[in-house]
Amino acid sequence: MADEDKTPSTIDRRRFLTVLGVSGAGAAVLSGCSTDRVQKLIPYLVQSEDQIPGVATWYASTCTECAAGCGLHVKTREGRAIKLEGNPEHPVNRGKLCSRGQAALQGLYNPGRLKGPMARTAAGGFQDITWDDAIQRLSTKLAAAGGKVAVISGAGRGTFSDLLAEWTAALGGRVVRYQPFDHEPLRAANKAVFGRDELPAHDFAKAQYILSFGADFLETWLAPVENQRGFAQSHGFHDGRMARHVAFAPRMSLTGQNADEWHAIRPGSEAALALALANLLVTEHGAAAGPLAASLAGATPEAAAKESGLPVETIRRIAKELAAARPSLAVAGGIGSQHRGAVEACAAVAILNWVAGNIGQTVLFGADLDTGDGAAGVDALGSALDAGQVAVLLVHEANPLYALPASVGFAARFGKAGFKVSTSLYLDETAAQCDLLLPGHHALERWDDARPRAGVTGLMQPVMEPVFPTMATGDVLLKTAQKVGGPLAGFTAPTYEAHLKARWADFAKAQGQADAESLWRGALQRGGVYSERPAVEAKPVAGATAAYTAPAFDGPGEFYFVPHASSFLYDGRGTNKPWLLENPDPVTKITWHSWVEVHPTTAARIDVRNGEILRLTSPQGTIEAPVYIYPGLRPDVLSVPLGFGHTAYGSYARGRGVNALDLLAVKPGQPFVPYLSARVSVEKTGRYQKLASTEGNPRQLGRGIAEAMPVALAAKGLSVKEAAAAEGHPEAEVNTERELEALKGWAAEVQARTRKGDYAGEHPQWGMTIDLAKCTGCSACVTACYAENNIPTVGEDEIHRGREMTWMRIERYWEGADPASPKGGAVEARFVPMPCQHCANAPCEPVCPVYAAYHTVDGLNGQIYNRCVGTRYCANNCPYKVRYFNWYKYNEHAWPEPLNLQLNPDVTVRARGVMEKCTFCIQRIRGAQHHARLEGRPLKDGEFTTACAQACPSDAILFGDLHDPESRVHQSSQDHRGYHVLEEINTRPAITYLAKVTSRTEA
Amino acid sequence: MAGRPRIVPGVLASFEQIDAATDAIKALRAGGHKDLVVYCSHPNHELEEALETPVSPVRLFTLIGGLTGVTAATGMTVWMNLDWPTLVGGKAIAAIPAFVAIMFELTVLIGALASVVGVIFLVMLGTRRGIMYDPRFSDDRIGVFVPAAADGALALERLFRDAGAVEVRHAAA
Amino acid sequence: MAVLAQEPVINQTHADVTRDVVATLGKPSTGYVLLFFGAVGLFLVGALTLLILIKDGLGHAGYQPPVFWSVYITTFVFWIGIGHAGTLISAILYLFRSPWRTAVYRSTEVMTVFAVMTAALFPIIHIGRQWLFYWLLPYPNQRYLWPNFKSPLLWDVCAITTYFTVSATFLVYGLVPDVAAVRDRVGGWRKLLYKFASAGWSGTNNQWRHYSRAYLYLAALATPLVLSVHSVVSWDFASALVPGWHGTIFAPYFVAGAIYSGIGMVLTLVIPLRRALKLEHMITEYHFDNLAKLTLLTGSILFYAYGMEYFISWYSGNTFEQTTFWRRAFGPYWWAGWSMIICNAFVSQLFWFRKIRVNPTALFVISIFINIGMWFERFVIIVSSLQNDYLPWAWDQLNPTWADWGILAGSFGWFGMWFMLFARTFPIVAIQEIKEMIPLPRKRGAH
Repeated sequence: MADEDKTPSTIDRRRFLTVLGVSGAGAAVLSGCSTDRVQKLIPYLVQSEDQIPGVATWYASTCTECAAGCGLHVKTREGRAIKLEGNPEHPVNRGKLCSRGQAALQGLYNPGRLKGPMARTAAGGFQDITWDDAIQRLSTKLAAAGGKVAVISGAGRGTFSDLLAEWTAALGGRVVRYQPFDHEPLRAANKAVFGRDELPAHDFAKAQYILSFGADFLETWLAPVENQRGFAQSHGFHDGRMARHVAFAPRMSLTGQNADEWHAIRPGSEAALALALANLLVTEHGAAAGPLAASLAGATPEAAAKESGLPVETIRRIAKELAAARPSLAVAGGIGSQHRGAVEACAAVAILNWVAGNIGQTVLFGADLDTGDGAAGVDALGSALDAGQVAVLLVHEANPLYALPASVGFAARFGKAGFKVSTSLYLDETAAQCDLLLPGHHALERWDDARPRAGVTGLMQPVMEPVFPTMATGDVLLKTAQKVGGPLAGFTAPTYEAHLKARWADFAKAQGQADAESLWRGALQRGGVYSERPAVEAKPVAGATAAYTAPAFDGPGEFYFVPHASSFLYDGRGTNKPWLLENPDPVTKITWHSWVEVHPTTAARIDVRNGEILRLTSPQGTIEAPVYIYPGLRPDVLSVPLGFGHTAYGSYARGRGVNALDLLAVKPGQPFVPYLSARVSVEKTGRYQKLASTEGNPRQLGRGIAEAMPVALAAKGLSVKEAAAAEGHPEAEVNTERELEALKGWAAEVQARTRKGDYAGEHPQWGMTIDLAKCTGCSACVTACYAENNIPTVGEDEIHRGREMTWMRIERYWEGADPASPKGGAVEARFVPMPCQHCANAPCEPVCPVYAAYHTVDGLNGQIYNRCVGTRYCANNCPYKVRYFNWYKYNEHAWPEPLNLQLNPDVTVRARGVMEKCTFCIQRIRGAQHHARLEGRPLKDGEFTTACAQACPSDAILFGDLHDPESRVHQSSQDHRGYHVLEEINTRPAITYLAKVTSRTEA
Repeated sequence: MAGRPRIVPGVLASFEQIDAATDAIKALRAGGHKDLVVYCSHPNHELEEALETPVSPVRLFTLIGGLTGVTAATGMTVWMNLDWPTLVGGKAIAAIPAFVAIMFELTVLIGALASVVGVIFLVMLGTRRGIMYDPRFSDDRIGVFVPAAADGALALERLFRDAGAVEVRHAAA
Repeated sequence: MAVLAQEPVINQTHADVTRDVVATLGKPSTGYVLLFFGAVGLFLVGALTLLILIKDGLGHAGYQPPVFWSVYITTFVFWIGIGHAGTLISAILYLFRSPWRTAVYRSTEVMTVFAVMTAALFPIIHIGRQWLFYWLLPYPNQRYLWPNFKSPLLWDVCAITTYFTVSATFLVYGLVPDVAAVRDRVGGWRKLLYKFASAGWSGTNNQWRHYSRAYLYLAALATPLVLSVHSVVSWDFASALVPGWHGTIFAPYFVAGAIYSGIGMVLTLVIPLRRALKLEHMITEYHFDNLAKLTLLTGSILFYAYGMEYFISWYSGNTFEQTTFWRRAFGPYWWAGWSMIICNAFVSQLFWFRKIRVNPTALFVISIFINIGMWFERFVIIVSSLQNDYLPWAWDQLNPTWADWGILAGSFGWFGMWFMLFARTFPIVAIQEIKEMIPLPRKRGAH
């Protein structure tokens, strides 16, 4: 990518070499697994050459948490996967990883995982059976099915899906590949406009002007990590400029919060707006409409203004800016704007992109992002079920009974299948209805590959012995094939691994690679095979058109009902992972439960307060959830997160929150699920539920915590103070020049008297810079911190009491109008990642009576757990409130088996009664120092970094030695935008924040 | 100590009136009887004047105790900080101002304890065992005891009676 | 203290004094016994709560970050403060030779010792790992680590141990001659007890010579202690940078408050005690009058301090201070803030009227207000300052729970238990000092 040359890759040579191909752990024989092996410290039968106790081994793999197919580096210790990081070589995520991807570990070690094959008993319950028995039962059913076989698979494109297709075809059955978030409208639109039935890639990094029409590209839209990387590069302040991001959506998602302008348009009016803009580009800014002129003719800004509720001049202004910025990028089709007119909206935006000349620039066809057959596929299967043509139904990595709205009526049709088999790892809603459970391996336990897009073939390898005696579904297919014979006689591979290798040999040939083995090994080390995306010329097809018609909404209710996809829970698959439940929702900062977002004006009108439980009623049903008053909505819109309200899927998910889909009226036969299609009426229940929110006071009260400056001033190289002065509200000077001089002298004099014992001599000074212009508040750093530092999740009740343990905390302050004021008004979100500031004059240190908090020679604010007696004085005296106390024995409750297997052996698990806080990942610092010493060389800048910095998809966080004038962190700390939070109390933090830069046109 | 000490021979007079007691004491001292034991239920200035009691040397204990305290505190805090230099809050390793409170407290503590020890020591030093006592001395009587051989006892009794003693008792060896 | 130096009027003989005081040690009344076991009951409640805290962790208490200190530290400062009146009356007024202290100083000293004893429990109760509290003591250990003398908590440890030791010594020391007096009046096993406790005191001129002198020095040493201990406690807060704590006014402000609360507690204890032990003729309205005047003085100092705190927070132009004090008056815990100002600053002003100063019932009621007010003062300073310090995002509100109240109740039980036990075992009025003030009969008549 563009910045690769500027910034050295975050992977170092040593670690690259340890990213191993040969997998001793995973390749162990599958038969005869038993859970008691889980108890063993080093759980492999034969010590393999790449496993050294105490030394981490890294494996390259591919993430399967969504269709984007990011590359993984899996850190294992003593044969246990303990951390997931992005693969720096992978073209999709370039070493970065979102919270959901990192939390895959808690899927691997989830207490809700099935511990072996089970069969339904006459009584209706399940009984444990052996794998041989299970295979036998399946084979018998298949043999008897006589071709009436169907499969619903959520597996991504790849060898497994191919095998599944061939296997099913051989049986004469059908496979439906189904992902709840399939972005069908986007595909349909591209088909209609460009004649290409595909999801293109989008280059946000290149875009100078970004328009999002309801597409939450920072949360769930296509490849969020890739999007965020690109967005941070273009929208972050660089070379004196930045891209502007304008968002049109009825609800301000995280994407909206990161927009320079968010316009709360009427739901469904995207198409009108996009066409009007395209029209303006053509009529007023000399863009060529080409074959599309016809469909633009009628689209006047006035009409668009009427539909969307935007002022005409705003539309004209945006068109003007859009025309001036090249290339730009317009995106549409997010879950939050998937209404009945979504195809038209996407088509209109496609046209806008074409007119603006973005096709081939920022919209890249030919990438052909992986996607399933969509709701239509499932519906077709449904008809087959109705017709009784399905004797055996196999469900793989899909949970349609949860993910499809009840109104689709799939549950009833599902019941018509003769014999239902699930390979789900967990007893989810669908598995609970099946007759035979064949729990598969987790993606980290098995061999597989993935082709998330053209030019990217990711490889997955077992990084450890399976946690439970499960079986890779690939092997299940092959074993049944051997049992059934007949039509399946062709499948002779002994194991799926062998099958995969064979396919890769073919792949090597196709690639023109003589030596298949070296390609395989290379792929294992690099995480896959990456080649250039085939460039495809995309032009509007003749007669391509898009017309705007206001989409229909069901029900008489007075409010539009906008279910939004949470960036953590996604389609609901995240809800069984405590990290994703406890890590505060980036938008609302609520944890562990559902909520309904209400605009302050509406809240005042219907007289509800935060936490008051509101009953939402649509023609389809009702749900009840506590109110969260949120200024980022249209007053006529209510929004509820998707992903809650599971009736199964493990103890974490079951019965938690409400399922927003229950309000949707979706008739069978829809090409996609119109999430935004209901109107609801509200009713007060008079009951209250305290919101499990980590939000304190969301206003800065002029304390200069989250600073920002307009791009114009930033381009002049002004400091925060100068910029404030230039804008006419100078900050009060705390000290005069002379006082500051005196302070300096005093400080130097004290410094001199601190240089005793170990403190004498030269030492590194670890420090960090956080670029608020890049930070999007996505909270991937928080999850990374939980994973790296064994941070316990404390649960809903403790969050009520403000006792979350997030060492890295994302504070979200509102600027502009008072977010609670019934008058409403424009608000701007500012994010401040707040880890321990590691102050040079740390207030927490001198007050500790037992030196549990002290200053290390290399400038860290050390915290020694076993020395701490728990006076909590340090926490009182910390102005940044980044110290967290173990009020209870969290360490005994946070990791029910086998979640405890994920714990990082390099980090102490804190006991009850001690204080803890961010350590700047001291275990990583010391580890890197040891290796440098062993290799007899000085530590190199960028050789290692903290977990948060490593994960950050925006590259907003830099870590290193401030004493080294060459280090990136030192240089960035000298940036003119740099400032310290609460500078005036002279704590001298080691963290420098770079002020956010805003690109807004007032008026 | 082994068993009850030998009874000290002498005369014990009890008074109800303070001036009677002081008269007796003055007379005795004039008569060369310097080592009197005078009982009283409370510290009484008139008796002290009559006895011309010198100021107690206990103040030396207090002084030495206090000085020990402040020295110990200073030494302890400074040495313990230099023993393992640990940097906190960017403050000097041996930051005297922070230690003043400790120094003060130890001065008071050791000073006070030393005074008490001093009293115990001095009192035991000056107490002779086996001298007659009367419980009423802790109530409202004043007692004056003069050690004397049997022959001088009668003269003393007369002296006491003249002074206004309400009761005179003799202790014989 | 000129105002306070009026001669007391005691028309009694030494014999009367001895008799009356010894009489207080007789068989206790049923009411007294019931009250005593009530106190024991409260203490057990506290003990049980503590056991649960030690078993599960401090989580049961209502701590709500950023409020990392709440009811326990509040109660700690409350009890420490109570102690101060005792030492003030027994030591400072002794140096000032103000005669009215004599009748009450013993009971106030007893109160001091047990109050400090109660307070000293809290630093242990409130820490996360109670069983490691001794790590705060400077003793050679295999951790090769000394405690951090720069931490105000270490100053605390020092100040409290010193204060407890010295005031206990002072009490026992002053007790010796009186115990001797009791020894000579009682018989049976009690005689043995008092014989031991009186350490062979016979009241000889030699004993009195050293005794009275050393008593003077003890008083002289205890006097600065009164001022220092609560100053040190106040520095726990003043030397932290929490807005609302970080003030130079704290030391004098806390000392005044301590004495104020202490005298409040003295009144709460002495008024019923005087009735129960029939000491009306020894503890008279003359003493109440003077106690009330002292309360008025310290109360007015508090009045000034409160005003000054608000003024400075406004005058400083420091937004953090301003927010804190605004929320102290109008924030979520406004009622606590106002009850502190009303109970302390305003109620004490009633003592401008002599009628109220000498009316035991009025005094008792007011003293209860004072106790409540002073507990809330500490609560307000600690909690409502912590609730809203520098980072608005971290703001939250405290919600005390049963665990907080359990320990609070237990501390009152613990204190009451010891105090009542003492009042029945040792002379609660200083015999020898009262006698010192009653002229002995003279053959030549009184001069």
